[in-house]
Amino acid sequence: MSVFVILYYTLLLGASCLAAYFNKRAAFLLLFSLTLVSFVLGIIGGVAALRIVAIAAGLLALSAMVAYAFREFLIVIASQNMAKELRTAPLTAAFGMFVIFTVAIAGIFAPFIAPFGEAQVISSAFAPADENMLLGADQLGRDMFSRLVYGARNTVALALMGTVLAFTLGALAGLLAATSGGWFDQVIARTSDVIMSIPSLIFALLMLSIFGGELANDTTSFYLLTGFAILTGLLVVSAVSERSVIGWLIGITVLVGVAVVFAGAMLIIFNPSEIILVLVVAVIYSPRVFRLTRAVAGNVVVMDYIEAAKLRGERTWYLIRREILPNSTAPLVAEFGLEFCFVFLLIAGLSFLGLGIQPPTADWGSMVRENATLISFGDITPLIPAAAIALLTVAVNFVVDWMLYRSSGLKV
Amino acid sequence: MTKKKEVLLKIRDLKIQGYSDETWIDIIKGVDLTLHRGEVMGLIGESGAGKSTIGAACMGYARDGTRISEGSIEFDGMELTTASESERRALRGSRIAYVAQSAAASFNPAHKIIDQHTEAPLQYRLKKRLEAQEDAMDLYERLRLPNPQEIGFRYPHQVSGGQLQRAMTAMAMACRPDLIIFDEPTTALDVTTQIEVLAAIRDIVEQFNTAAIYITHDLAVVAQMADTIKVLLKGEEVEEASTKEMLDNPKEDYTKSLWAVRSFESPQRYRPKDGVPLISVRNVDAAYTGGEKVLDDVSFDIYEGMTVAVVGESGSGKSTTARVITGLLPPMKGEVLFKGKPFPASYRDRTKDQLRQCQMIYQMADTALNPKVRISEIIGRPAAFYSGLKGVALKNRVDELLDLIELEPSQYYNRYPPELSGGQKQRIGIARALAAEPTFIVCDEVTSALDQLVAEGILRLLDRLQNEMNLAYMFITHDLATVRSIADEVVVMQHGKVVEQGPKDEMFKPPHHPYTDLLLSSVPEMDPNWLTTLLEERGVDNVGDAASARIDPNDPKVTGANA
Repeated sequence: MSVFVILYYTLLLGASCLAAYFNKRAAFLLLFSLTLVSFVLGIIGGVAALRIVAIAAGLLALSAMVAYAFREFLIVIASQNMAKELRTAPLTAAFGMFVIFTVAIAGIFAPFIAPFGEAQVISSAFAPADENMLLGADQLGRDMFSRLVYGARNTVALALMGTVLAFTLGALAGLLAATSGGWFDQVIARTSDVIMSIPSLIFALLMLSIFGGELANDTTSFYLLTGFAILTGLLVVSAVSERSVIGWLIGITVLVGVAVVFAGAMLIIFNPSEIILVLVVAVIYSPRVFRLTRAVAGNVVVMDYIEAAKLRGERTWYLIRREILPNSTAPLVAEFGLEFCFVFLLIAGLSFLGLGIQPPTADWGSMVRENATLISFGDITPLIPAAAIALLTVAVNFVVDWMLYRSSGLKV
Repeated sequence: MTKKKEVLLKIRDLKIQGYSDETWIDIIKGVDLTLHRGEVMGLIGESGAGKSTIGAACMGYARDGTRISEGSIEFDGMELTTASESERRALRGSRIAYVAQSAAASFNPAHKIIDQHTEAPLQYRLKKRLEAQEDAMDLYERLRLPNPQEIGFRYPHQVSGGQLQRAMTAMAMACRPDLIIFDEPTTALDVTTQIEVLAAIRDIVEQFNTAAIYITHDLAVVAQMADTIKVLLKGEEVEEASTKEMLDNPKEDYTKSLWAVRSFESPQRYRPKDGVPLISVRNVDAAYTGGEKVLDDVSFDIYEGMTVAVVGESGSGKSTTARVITGLLPPMKGEVLFKGKPFPASYRDRTKDQLRQCQMIYQMADTALNPKVRISEIIGRPAAFYSGLKGVALKNRVDELLDLIELEPSQYYNRYPPELSGGQKQRIGIARALAAEPTFIVCDEVTSALDQLVAEGILRLLDRLQNEMNLAYMFITHDLATVRSIADEVVVMQHGKVVEQGPKDEMFKPPHHPYTDLLLSSVPEMDPNWLTTLLEERGVDNVGDAASARIDPNDPKVTGANA
């Protein structure tokens, strides 16, 4: 018996006795059943198995402490009202926020954090980790850690942009469909049904193979972006100007200008193939957002205060902006987080298949594919970007869970 | 009526806390309650007094966000505060039953009524399914439901509200409990239906010698039902006495003020001899898309500065008339005139000024005010929208309006509707209507969701505003006490038709149209024997729907009354 084993059992038994003495039912059950399981584990797996249990428990405790400290930190720096909300956050949500915060920092300050460049070859292929390279090298001898940091920037930025576009289009269409109803509602709802009836991955592959080849140039992506922006903007214009002809004329003029500027700005940030990817994602995911928004807004538009505003003679845009939107933000924000996860996974998946983000741009999905051969040698290098994907999606889901819980109106 | 004087429920120094703003606040501050077997106790008080919380506590239950912090609840010798959850659950449904305010919301719409009825006896293995069903039919018959053999096999949406409430009472009776808690069982019903339910509940409670706690804010109702009355105010007991003593000789000031509520009456105004009516509804027929005709040849006039009360039971077309006037529902036939000129049928075609003239105050202030918008904007928006006020002028106007509705501006300016009480919300609703500077306001059941004391305050406020600003009201209500206090003219509606109309003082004097008569006689009075007397006069089978169905179509009042 090693000192470790003795210490291990003493700690567990002592803690479970204390829990039992202080009448902490749940804690006692957890600790004592862990002790019983450990007896069996120790016999079968020996000291190594117990060590793994201890490390897992330690990691769990560590992340709980990080989450707790991070929540307290947020409460201290946040305003009065925000602090009140934050205090209701469970530890899981705080942990999620911590991970998102870390990834955001890594993405924004990537060039300063990463020790090497994104595509800089610094050693031999698949070199193991040393004091220079935290996580070893990839199949071309580039630093894995630096690429992971840059990958956070590329993958997350694309996923975020895609979700934002999908949300703008879907939410606007949903709100408008709920307020106006009638044929407009029918047309949009049926269109979204058609898009949703095609499996998303297959649809994405189809679209990417159409626009992916020669068409992935500046001109095409500029036109596509402008078209998308005009489509979204038309919804806004129809809500703002309603039945006045002059309103429509002014609205459309402004809209075209805004759309062109938007497309130009996007082209500066992303390259054409990325823009096509973002647009494909936006088209695939907007029907889901549309459905949710329409359902949520549908419950709000039947309220008396909407009727009061209509009788006052308010325009649809005012109704949407001031009366409906404030009452549907909670589920929409939660949906935003959830959709972000899906989009993120879709982009990672497409990159894994070689259709998403093109090399040498670092991206978590394609990093898994590039290093996949290593898995047969029992090395964990390809699992690191996969773990990063998993960690971020789980983290976002933790936060979304908390928001869903809050918006469901349950107490205590 | 002899009663065994055995104590069934004993509550001592009960304190219940609610969680809000991150601290626990006492909402019940030490209430004692003793209930004997077969005794009916009425709990009354305004909303927020903790009536329902005490009702739930009698089952050893604390709602989400509340906890029983101190005191003891002893049910038939068993201490509920320390009992385990499974022990308490074994009592619920079998020995303590609960009848909720809204039967329509409490029944599961996906199951037949009788399946929900037999659930408890089957669960507790008291009866076999068929026995339980037979027993259910027996109870339906005792509660005087039509077709007792068949009605249980319908789904909840296939029966009327009053019938559903009685079916729910039957369900509570399924295991022959020792105690039933009635939580405002008739508040959501109109007067004619209310009688049926009251009579049924009273009989069945008496037949099985069940103890009951009857929660309500309507004194006249509780006077019919309860043996003893307990008055609550803000989580504390005000006084408790037997019904007769309480009615004849209330001790505390608060109780006296509750009794005095129904005394408010505004002086009657009369139509100007010559003049154009402000709003004139002419031969209006209306229907919802694809439905049957809801309004049939409705005509009446509303003059400037006068209040016209539109009364009738639910489904009689009162609110539909309001929707036609406001333009939400364009009529199939007929028109609405404003100062003698036709009003466009749909609100979409009306000009800003036309929209401004005609404002609306809603029944449910909860749904009429956007919960995510500050009070300042709710009231300020119409002022900004119609009059184009901005900045300081707008703020001044909002302050002025808040002053007008007797709320302190600095305190309420930045608050949100969910932070206000029911009465305060209704005041904000009034302020929003006033902000548009209208000449005509539709008040759709504005007081029916409020307690009598608060409702009285709202009525007085409306009356004062009418005098100050020469407003005309169309006052939709099913409560004749409200009509008596505020109306100048009355329009009685039934099945989408105007059955009688005229000045108030004439309407409250016989002879009436038989339907008006039915409505008038169905309003509960403070006399504890009122229900008994009424039932003797009319006969137990001649209340509610049955009574309105019995109105003789050849009665001279029906055929030629309106001519």
